[in-house]
Amino acid sequence: MGLVFSRLFSSLFGNKEARILVLGLDNAGKTTILYRLQMGEVVSTIPTIGFNVETVQYNNIKFQVWDLGGQTSIRPYWRCYFPNTQAIIYVVDSSDTDRLVVAKEEFHAILEEEELKGAVVLIYANKQDLPGALDDAAVTEALELHKIKSRQWAIFKTSAIKGEGLFEGLDWLSNTLKSGGG
Amino acid sequence: MSGHDSKYFSTTKKGEIPELKEELNSQYKDKRKDAVKKVIAAMTVGKDVSSLFTDVVNCMQTENLELKKLVYLYLINYAKSQPDLAILAVNTFVKDSQDPNPLIRALAVRTMGCIRVDKITEYLCDPLQRCLKDDDPYVRKTAAICVAKLYDINAELVEDRGFLDALKDLISDNNPMVVANAVAALAEIQESSSRPIFEITSHTLSKLLTALNECTEWGQVFILDALSKYKAADAREAENIVERVTPRLQHANCAVVLSAVKMILQQMELITSTDVVRNLCKKMAPPLVTLLSAEPEIQYVALRNINLIVQKRPTILAHEIKVFFCKYNDPIYVKMEKLEIMIKLASDRNIDQVLLEFKEYATEVDVDFVRKAVRAIGRCAIKLERAAERCISVLLELIKIKVNYVVQEAIIVIKDIFRRYPNTYESIIATLCESLDTLDEPEAKASMIWIIGEYAERIDNADELLESFLESFPEEPPQVQLQLLTATVKLFLKKPTEGPQQMIQVVLNNATVETDNPDLRDRAYIYWRLLSTDPEAAKDVVLAEKPVISDDSNQLDPSLLDELLSNIATLSSVYHKPPEAFVTRVKTTQKTEEEDYPEAGEQSYSDSPARVADSGASPPASSANPQHPASRQPAAPAALPDLLDLGMDNSGSAIVSVDQPASPAGPPLPVVLPASSGQGLQISAQLIRRDGQVFYSMMFENNSQVPLDGFMIQFNKNTFGLAAGGQLQVPQLLPGTSASTLLPMVLFQNISPGPANTLLQVAIKNNQQPVWYFNDKIYFHVLFTEDGRMERSTFLETWKSLPDSNEVSRDFPASVINSVETTLDRLAASNMFFIAKRKHANQEVLYLSAKIPRGIPFLIELTAVIGTPGVKCAIKTPSPEMAPLFFEAVETLLKS
Repeated sequence: MGLVFSRLFSSLFGNKEARILVLGLDNAGKTTILYRLQMGEVVSTIPTIGFNVETVQYNNIKFQVWDLGGQTSIRPYWRCYFPNTQAIIYVVDSSDTDRLVVAKEEFHAILEEEELKGAVVLIYANKQDLPGALDDAAVTEALELHKIKSRQWAIFKTSAIKGEGLFEGLDWLSNTLKSGGG
Repeated sequence: MSGHDSKYFSTTKKGEIPELKEELNSQYKDKRKDAVKKVIAAMTVGKDVSSLFTDVVNCMQTENLELKKLVYLYLINYAKSQPDLAILAVNTFVKDSQDPNPLIRALAVRTMGCIRVDKITEYLCDPLQRCLKDDDPYVRKTAAICVAKLYDINAELVEDRGFLDALKDLISDNNPMVVANAVAALAEIQESSSRPIFEITSHTLSKLLTALNECTEWGQVFILDALSKYKAADAREAENIVERVTPRLQHANCAVVLSAVKMILQQMELITSTDVVRNLCKKMAPPLVTLLSAEPEIQYVALRNINLIVQKRPTILAHEIKVFFCKYNDPIYVKMEKLEIMIKLASDRNIDQVLLEFKEYATEVDVDFVRKAVRAIGRCAIKLERAAERCISVLLELIKIKVNYVVQEAIIVIKDIFRRYPNTYESIIATLCESLDTLDEPEAKASMIWIIGEYAERIDNADELLESFLESFPEEPPQVQLQLLTATVKLFLKKPTEGPQQMIQVVLNNATVETDNPDLRDRAYIYWRLLSTDPEAAKDVVLAEKPVISDDSNQLDPSLLDELLSNIATLSSVYHKPPEAFVTRVKTTQKTEEEDYPEAGEQSYSDSPARVADSGASPPASSANPQHPASRQPAAPAALPDLLDLGMDNSGSAIVSVDQPASPAGPPLPVVLPASSGQGLQISAQLIRRDGQVFYSMMFENNSQVPLDGFMIQFNKNTFGLAAGGQLQVPQLLPGTSASTLLPMVLFQNISPGPANTLLQVAIKNNQQPVWYFNDKIYFHVLFTEDGRMERSTFLETWKSLPDSNEVSRDFPASVINSVETTLDRLAASNMFFIAKRKHANQEVLYLSAKIPRGIPFLIELTAVIGTPGVKCAIKTPSPEMAPLFFEAVETLLKS
């Protein structure tokens, strides 16, 4: 019975786009990640004042990925995008240790949001290619991920420039969503 | 009733907006597109769909051009009402301005220019810069226009980013369409700026002349208009320019033709060679004539312009008078204009033809037209001496028709003819007198009486004729009374017999004792005195030789004519009024010497904490301050109109007039009543605090045509009961001048009930204009009193004594504290006093106090990470309802 259900579910899911928000502080690499995922190449970016939205097809799931600007002035408007979101990709600049505190606060503020209660969380510890970048364990510590209760989450070391770790994260995400985690 | 009934109150229907919201967020593109169309439809019928802003903006990133256009349309409409959220669209604009499709690039840059939101203009500069250098001419020309729009929003930004130079570069563009749009943009910018921005050089001149031949018709109009402002270096250059432009006269678009005519007329001023001028005049005639075969409206515009051209250079159309002959089916407004031009073109050579026409017109049915035709004959007679006799015979023929209004109009013009040619045509007086009893219009009557008086010695029964009028003297209109008086005096002086002597007694008596009209009375007394002292002198005065008149009606003053000619093909040349008489332009004011004032102001503020420590609750008394409001009350004017219709008894010092010394200073005040809505009166104002007292700092600018005086002010009820505490001192404002004043304010006069707000409604009145109403904002921090400092212990006690429900907090995500000292100094300048600080993790926590009148304290806790945006402000106060206003004030202070 369970097997039938999950198959049915996955076939349903095959047509449906999963809505995913890419959040994080400014200069974390959100836009670069978005286009790396979508086109497979590194584009030159400027600070996103507003948003980018692209569709990414991966593992039979269509992701509608919203990349929102991380500037302080725009962060208040993130909430406009919260409804109906299945997953959040939270991008952290692992080399920007000074602002990890801010990143943590923003992150936990997001988790508090009622509208994002059911969303799974994928954390990219980005910019691993830079010297002095913290590894996933250190980022886990800094973001106090152990405090997350009743929510599926995972953290991956990534480098958007080199294209490392991104699709591993997406694998996890698609599997989690298929299994009904979203 | 059971609990189940509650279901009737909750409905499953969501209403239109939530439904649209859902559809806009649909995962299917078609559904989203349909939803956006529904939103636009709702918008066009006037429903407010601004609450869907983010949802619509989220549909903006699409390959579908139609959908994109719809979203852009929505943005243009609603960005202004959602200025904060508009920022979400910026990234898409930036992306679209780099789209491979030039149509999308141009669309993006055009839409950007239409979004007049300050917060995002800065972000749009980079895309605009790129588009000004785009490979595609369509994008470049759109960007050029966008610069003009941006200049209107933020002139400084445009100059700082070098867009003006970029525009000037575009004049040398290889695409004529781009050149034309750059010229149009520069011309528009020039109009709103007081300094020279767009000046054609010999280099740009050749570029413009080249582009002129290739660009669209409207582009040609812009270039021609720009060229008409160019001052050629010498006659040769002027000739060259004119030569290049003459082919435009053949254009099918009448706007191009008129602009070309304007341009040629301007340059002709410099051309000295009479041959060239004659040649040009010859060339300009046919295109002007062609304009008259267009539809009546265009004809009218052409005729109004030709009217000006003919006054300046009559030779151009001297041989074309026939085209101005009225057709029976011309609309009346065209006929009237044609008549005017016919008079101007009438000459000895064509007068016979013209007279025939006029005579014909005089028998038509439209009374106004007939009158004007009769008058035209008279004006021709005055203008052309050799034709005068022919004109008069036509007039006499017309009088014989005995149509009442024709006769009256004829008599009016014949009076003028007599004055122009004295002692020549008096033989016709007899004919005129026959129609005497048919006259019923004042002007005709007055004219006839003037004729009788002037020629009393030749009219045998002049005394009888006049006497017939005298019976009804008291009922006559003033114009006729005045003429009767003068005519009777003339008659008496010419025929000092018994009859006239009696008449003069009656008239003088009527005109002095019986009348209320001062003009009449004054004139009568002068005659009376003259006659009674020295009749011979009276003769010399009254019967003196009159100067000969000429026809100067409807002739414009030469300087006005030149100004109007430089505005040919605009409304100005149709109205025959200079543009500034009916358009007010808001000039971008340049900030100049005001720079040092804010600092001076700060200085005087920053020493106040120390000074006010001992000043107690009331503001420090000084001679500059007004007395306490209570003591003012008797002095307030008693029966002034209640401007705001509050039904107040005026016992408060609400309405005050002028007499307090003004001391204007400080940074430029925000405009509260723009000149465009104040019939030329512009008012800038702001509440400020100075020396422990609230003032309303105001500046009045008179951009109207008349002097304004008698200014009075009244404030509507407001949360703090702010009202004028002294008199509004504004001297008489001559046109083009301005005056500043500081109006002392008092509190708690007319307190409006309801929740606290910062709305200040003001009414301003003067003797010349209607009452102006405008809204201003009460800056809460101007109310902070100088005695707001608290001791640490008092602070702690007060904090503890207030219940927790009185604590309110607010985050200012956009505020930054970069340096604690600077911030504290700034807050202290506004009477927010520092008490203590502590460090919590990496955050600074500052404690401050402030007080508003009636001793209401505010205990403040500011928490922030230095240098990082985001300040948290928590306050405790006995009046938590004031908290929103307080937070607004703190946010403003932190920002400044």
